Amino acid sequence: MKQIKLYHFIAFTLIMVLISCHKDKIIPVPDKPAATRAGLYILNQGGFGSNNSTLTYYDYTSKQLTADFFSSVNGTKIGDTGNDVEIYGTKMYIAVNNSDRIDVVNAKTGKIIKQATLHQCRSIAFYQGEAYITSYDGNVAVMDTLTLTINKLIPVGRNPEQLVVSNNKLYVANSGGLSFGNPDKTVSVIDLTTLTEIKKITVIANPVSVTADTYGNVYVLSIGDFAKIMPGMTIIDNVADVIKSQPIVSLGFNTPIVAQGEYVYYLTSDNKVAVYNAKTQTPAQANFITDGTVVTAPYDIAADPLTGEIFVTDAKDYSSNGTLYAFDKTGKKEYSITTGINPGKVAFVNK
Amino acid sequence: MQRKTPVLNHRFWSITLLCLIIELPFFVSAQQDTSKKLKEVKISGSIVPKEQTAIPSQQISAADFERYSAFNVADAIRNFSGVILKDYGGIGGLKTVSVRGLSANHTAVLYDGVQLNDAENGQIDLGKLNLNNLQQITLYNGQPPNICMPARSFASASILSIKTVKPALGSIKPYLITAGIKAGSFGLINPYLQWQQLISKYWSFIVNSYLESANGHYNYKTNSNGVDSVRSRINTDINAQQVDGALYWAKSDSNSFNLHINYYHSDRGLPGAVIFYKTSFSKDRLYNTDLFLQGGYEHQWVNSLNLLLNTKVSQINLRYLSPGFLNVEGELDQRFNQREFYQSAAIAYHLYSNWEVSYATDLIVNNLNTNLFNFSYPTRINILNVLASNLIVGKFRLQASLLNTNITETVKRGRAAPARNIYSPTFMATYQPFNHSGLQFRAFYKSIFRNPTFNDLYYGGIGNPNLKPEFTHQFDSGISYSKALSGFFNYIAFSADAYYNDVTNKIVFIPKDSYNGSIQNFGKVSIKGVDIGLKTLATIITRIRASLSINYSYQQALNINDPSSSVYLNQLPYTPKNTLAVNTGLDYNKCGLYYNQVISSSRYYNNNNLLDDYLPAYSTSDASFVYRFTARNNPVTASLAVSNIFDKNYVVVQSYPMPGRSFRILIQITI
Repeated sequence: MKQIKLYHFIAFTLIMVLISCHKDKIIPVPDKPAATRAGLYILNQGGFGSNNSTLTYYDYTSKQLTADFFSSVNGTKIGDTGNDVEIYGTKMYIAVNNSDRIDVVNAKTGKIIKQATLHQCRSIAFYQGEAYITSYDGNVAVMDTLTLTINKLIPVGRNPEQLVVSNNKLYVANSGGLSFGNPDKTVSVIDLTTLTEIKKITVIANPVSVTADTYGNVYVLSIGDFAKIMPGMTIIDNVADVIKSQPIVSLGFNTPIVAQGEYVYYLTSDNKVAVYNAKTQTPAQANFITDGTVVTAPYDIAADPLTGEIFVTDAKDYSSNGTLYAFDKTGKKEYSITTGINPGKVAFVNK
Repeated sequence: MQRKTPVLNHRFWSITLLCLIIELPFFVSAQQDTSKKLKEVKISGSIVPKEQTAIPSQQISAADFERYSAFNVADAIRNFSGVILKDYGGIGGLKTVSVRGLSANHTAVLYDGVQLNDAENGQIDLGKLNLNNLQQITLYNGQPPNICMPARSFASASILSIKTVKPALGSIKPYLITAGIKAGSFGLINPYLQWQQLISKYWSFIVNSYLESANGHYNYKTNSNGVDSVRSRINTDINAQQVDGALYWAKSDSNSFNLHINYYHSDRGLPGAVIFYKTSFSKDRLYNTDLFLQGGYEHQWVNSLNLLLNTKVSQINLRYLSPGFLNVEGELDQRFNQREFYQSAAIAYHLYSNWEVSYATDLIVNNLNTNLFNFSYPTRINILNVLASNLIVGKFRLQASLLNTNITETVKRGRAAPARNIYSPTFMATYQPFNHSGLQFRAFYKSIFRNPTFNDLYYGGIGNPNLKPEFTHQFDSGISYSKALSGFFNYIAFSADAYYNDVTNKIVFIPKDSYNGSIQNFGKVSIKGVDIGLKTLATIITRIRASLSINYSYQQALNINDPSSSVYLNQLPYTPKNTLAVNTGLDYNKCGLYYNQVISSSRYYNNNNLLDDYLPAYSTSDASFVYRFTARNNPVTASLAVSNIFDKNYVVVQSYPMPGRSFRILIQITI
């Protein structure tokens, strides 16, 4: 019976995990126009408690797929529930949530450089040589990207999820998602020079996903309290740090969001990738996919600023291998590849 | 948490009392009844196992528990054909069974004919059921072949029927006291006591109690870092207490009454999944407190009219505590309280000597209170009606039943599941080509469903009140042969069945959104299988007897949900294609030496069926030695059981390593 109880706890945790694995940031090191992509990585969460998180690598030139790239290079598994993967400079950072672990690897070879422990780590962002990593116990850890040591913990709200750098400030979604019925409802604004929280902005309850556009807006998606408060979007002005608007959107438990150029892409409750115009601040498209491609269970949305492509992962039945679909700007499918279980995050690597 | 559902609160116990009182007039009139005692049928010769039933059934009796080194019900039935044990490992680990490819929720557990029900999560932890007070365990595919039984016995895909020890005392020695202790690895200490007492000519009682205490520690091997290392399973302790009392009144074989009270409490550590690299360990705990009161009355009149009444009230309290949980309180403390009221009446009558008909009706009321946020506080009223007929025509025996299930639910908050009204037929036939040959052909078809549990329907954020029941169809045909012999072999019993099952509207967890719920009807399964059993006993030389029991199962359980999916026609997770269980033993005078081997072929732990989710085959061996003697004319049993004698490292459930070699001793005296 115990594991039956656990199952429900796990179910809840899984929801918390899957709603919180997507974010986009102002690109830390802007890709030079001359840069070319070597390929892409997909971090697959696996099943909670199954220790089967994997990193899939897809090589653009050879069109080769390596299903468990991390293990094939390092001879060890990633661990349980990889939640975020980000590339900064020559290094790639993987936050392995249930293993309490940050893997720092060579972005090209995948070889482990350093492994650090961080309790229930969730999401990663970068700013001027520092990695900022949320930990579910209420902190943002600051890791130096040269020494790869965690030098400081910045206290934020409860169960912080995704974070984004915008206008030289860090915006952290404080979900409080583990206090059922009493979620947090704030976004912490952190001054990146003093490394202190300067403001807490009240948004819709249980904020999870964040992204920022180039027009001075930070987008926050909240999943509500599973009862009276419905999921919703809050748009924050990154100068005054006040709420600009709360457009009416229809969201499910899974709330990937990504900003690219003029547009913001997010997932609706009926499993469509909707488009919001960042420039005009109006809804642009109810369904980005224009060629009729069916994505059974959209799980993550990623955008490549270099190529303009939009990627959507499909978790299918959440217990077998998924698919990654690549679309061009107009929403037409370019190709699809097989991923691992619960493909939650995509990262692009240069040659 | 403090909200109560009126139906089952104060009135709960009073209604029960009323029902027991209603049964009393029958009981009193029965006392005055002068019906003739039915002629006792004496079985002579060697005891041939009961393989000759109209539907496939497998049985194990108390005398054989030691042969299987069994400590709980899960251990005792793991050799059965078609049974796949899901074992999370360790002495307090969850143990459930899947029968013929159907999930654990499809097997109902009957305790002296009345179901042990968990309306919240639908599964009974068989590891929780200690063998101390049990007489017999029988697994029926489909339903038991008897037609005079509670309607609930017709309402599951398979039935695991547990019978407790009944007092069997003569007036010369009106009592029997059995005291024993089991102890061994895992820091196990399990003293138990049984007291049987004849009160008067018709009255007797039995009281069973035990204490179980273990730290549960064990080591396992892992290679998570690419290097083999040995780790310890911790937070595995268990402390459990059980008291089971029963009062019996029996005027004759055909006129009897019983009243049971059963209390169980346990406090367990939950070690959880072994997570790679994690340096902290689970401190989670689970507390169970179960209490039930159960009464039954049966009367068989001379004109063949048979009446069976059963009443039960039960309360299941469960507390899940997770210290260090990252919420505001700094711990998660979830409490669940479910209650059930149950009343059943069944009558059967022989229209002709070869044609018996029966009718049974059950009323079941369940509710669930929790301290969960925004909980629905559901109450379910379930009315079951079943008509059954058993006809013998020549060498054929034809049985049919039609079950009607009517379920209505109310909630205090949110949406209630819609009402359901479902008809479920069962047909079975047997053919005995020759008289007294011991050869029989059989076939059955059964349509039944499992209703979504309260958790499936209402668990915060993921429950889905619109869930439909999960339907199953079972088709079986088989042959059985058993014969008592007088030569070298004392008997031989053989059975083989081929079956096809399908599952539609399979209930699975698929994350969705807060409005639609995440538990969904998604999936179809097609299961083809073969179950084969062979049992024999041979007298090698005088006083030396050798026993052999072999069970083999083949299961092909395929996902047939979506032909375009990459997992279409893949084998279901945790379903080995081949399992083989062999039990053999030698009995010489007062000694018995037994050996048990269970072999499971490889399995996959998710739908992919790739190298990534591959779990290798395993084989475990257990042995036991039993010595029975008398001390001052009191029978004494001493035994030593060794489990996993070759110290194999294996998992049944991924991330839940199983223990290596372990020992257990038993000493028991009967006064």
